Amino acid sequence: MEEHIAAQWNSAANATQQRRGSCAAGFFVLRRRKWGEVFGEGSAGMHICQELSLFEKLNILTDAAKYDVACTSSGVDRGGDGKHMGNCTAPGICHSFSADGRCISLLKILFTNECIYNCHYCVNRCSNDVVRTSFTPEEVCTLTMEFYRRNMIEGLFLSSGILYSPDYTMEQIYETLYRLRVVCQFRGYIHVKAIPGADPLLIEKTGFLADRMSVNLELPTAEGLKKLAPNKTRQKILAPMRQVQKKLAENKNELMMYRQAPKFVPAGQSTQMIIGATPESDFQIISVAESLYQKFELKRVFYSAFISVNEDPLLPVLPGGPPLLREHRLYQADWLMRFYGFQAGELLNEKHPNFNMLLDPKCDWALAHLEEFPVEMNRAPYEKLLRVPGIGPKSALRIVKARKFGKLDYPSLKKMGVVLKRAVYFITCEGRMMYPIKMEEDFILRNLLNVKERLPIETQTYRQLSLFDDTFSVEGMNSSQLLQLGRGGDGYENDLSV
Amino acid sequence: MRTIFQCEDSVDGIFTAVYEAWDSRLGLANVTIQPGEGHTMSLFSSYCQVETDHEKAARVAETIRRKMGWEDYQVIYQAALAHDPEKGEAIFSTLVLGLAVLKQKNVTRKLQDPAVRKTFELSRRVGNEAHRYKMFVRFRELAGVEHNLKKGQQWAEREAGDILPVLDREEDGGYKIAPTEDRRLEKLELTEAHASLMFSEIEPENHILATLGEHFTDRFPQMNFAIYDRTHRECLVHPAGKGWVVLEEVDLEETLIRSYSRKEQEFARLWKGFVKSIAIEERINPRCQMNFMPKKYWKHMTEHEV
Repeated sequence: MEEHIAAQWNSAANATQQRRGSCAAGFFVLRRRKWGEVFGEGSAGMHICQELSLFEKLNILTDAAKYDVACTSSGVDRGGDGKHMGNCTAPGICHSFSADGRCISLLKILFTNECIYNCHYCVNRCSNDVVRTSFTPEEVCTLTMEFYRRNMIEGLFLSSGILYSPDYTMEQIYETLYRLRVVCQFRGYIHVKAIPGADPLLIEKTGFLADRMSVNLELPTAEGLKKLAPNKTRQKILAPMRQVQKKLAENKNELMMYRQAPKFVPAGQSTQMIIGATPESDFQIISVAESLYQKFELKRVFYSAFISVNEDPLLPVLPGGPPLLREHRLYQADWLMRFYGFQAGELLNEKHPNFNMLLDPKCDWALAHLEEFPVEMNRAPYEKLLRVPGIGPKSALRIVKARKFGKLDYPSLKKMGVVLKRAVYFITCEGRMMYPIKMEEDFILRNLLNVKERLPIETQTYRQLSLFDDTFSVEGMNSSQLLQLGRGGDGYENDLSV
Repeated sequence: MRTIFQCEDSVDGIFTAVYEAWDSRLGLANVTIQPGEGHTMSLFSSYCQVETDHEKAARVAETIRRKMGWEDYQVIYQAALAHDPEKGEAIFSTLVLGLAVLKQKNVTRKLQDPAVRKTFELSRRVGNEAHRYKMFVRFRELAGVEHNLKKGQQWAEREAGDILPVLDREEDGGYKIAPTEDRRLEKLELTEAHASLMFSEIEPENHILATLGEHFTDRFPQMNFAIYDRTHRECLVHPAGKGWVVLEEVDLEETLIRSYSRKEQEFARLWKGFVKSIAIEERINPRCQMNFMPKKYWKHMTEHEV
């Protein structure tokens, strides 16, 4: 089987080219020449420093790429072939963690930070005066191969600013990937950006070389996009997403008939959106995410707390820093939707459009649905176990497996990884609760808050809300006040004040 | 009276002790296994020294796989690699439960049982540490290699195939053991031909080298690499194009394993630059960083090198 995979990347590139005939290659060369004539080689109104060393280039183009969130290397299981370097494991591997606590799994770089677009939130917008530079495909390959050899990365994450045109940029990305896969025979992970507006053929060809492809949704709604990214439109972003989805389905059939058929983005596609730059509610955001999962079959949606890098009248000012807690809550909800069988409409609705800042979404849901509890550990089905705060997919599975051998008690539940400090209010073992507990929202909420999830300082800004009481304290309030405070229909006004 | 079987602190040592304990017909309740040294001697027990026998160990492993299943075998195997004074007892009790009491597969799922729980916990601890090292091992290209591994070092008798056989799933759902001959190394040659050795040093708590061999050999088939476990003085070696072995009682020349090639120094600089620029200043969060990557691992990581 190994040789097929090795040959796959060779044949994949050729196969698609043949399909369109030889004119395809000529078309792109022509296009490039045309841009060269119009603007002069290598100038689009930006300064380019030719003398930068590889070290400087790497620093600049990493710095420019760091706002991209996705750094996952999951979704592909590809063993080594005994000859060439690299393999992939389905769960992915992180190799380091940067000072901000985010994982470093892939060599995340931009191909170039030159850009013809002027998106208000972006550090690389063309009106910004920053040092511009580009890698060559060879440089990207050297860096990837050498870092990979040292077990520093799982592979490459290649994104790019728009140099000259979407087509030209996509072509550069394709060239880099082709070199890495076919010349260097790299078998590690590659995550690549599909550039909206690029020729579908180029995107398809690139897809056969990559493991995961992503198109950034940028902002949750079309209006936000129109306002902050005037050169992009929702249709242009969704078009390549749909294309990748269709091609994936097509490829699945091909693979069923011919096992050796080249694989098209085997790890699927993902996207990301910026949170807090535009006034959408959490409900809108998770609804968008849900429909992306359902209608576009995305593997992941990433949320990126808005970080103010440009001074711009259209952008919100965030004196408290980026809305990290809100981002955290969105990820928690995202997990609930993907692994716990929750739907967006269950977690939030028009009446409560935002997440409770004091409680995680699962506890919040459980408190609002006390009629579903307590859950009996020795009998409840897996799906029901998953809905208990403090029980995750792993511990739920362990419970189901262990029950076949006999009854469960609280000490063994604890050892199985159930977080009893949260679960204890919602479960029974053989009809008994661990402690005498009142099934009252007020009582449980107060106790859950005592558990103290480590919240960022952000939440303390709520002090400003109390007008008549200098000593704001959670203890002095009843549950409805607390929930109001946490969910606070107006919770994010602080974030959005211009 | 209890009989305590003392054995070598290795998977084969423990499995041999299991064999002997079973074979002694002393009654399973009267038997305990103590791998390694440093246990407090007990007054009213008799002691029995067990000499590691790979054939007996292999028979025990085969029995576990056949009667308790592959999942249980993996859990028990990993638990046997753990650094814990009570592991012998926990593993033996789990085996008694699986082979003599319940006589069924997947008993390691019975987490209500304290011994199973202990075995499961140990296995998870080893698995987690092994995964951490899959993440945090950093290979460095050494400047001069030839004299790196001192002459006269002892070859481990256990070789790749014996330690963790690669299993192929058969049609009928059972497992067969892949022939191990092709995975064996004739002898260790690190001469000029292997001019570039990628070297890595770790200080793990448990004996995890055996669990790393398969992963890194699959990933870097044509690269000479060695991972040195300073805690246990063991070394995983993989010459390009061959299998892997774990060497025991290895002492390395400190100066040689600290002298990196020029290329290595350049890429270390590039990597440090990358790690620094990828962090977003507005989100700096050292606690989060240390949660995912505890400081004990930093010592041997390129990006944290001073």
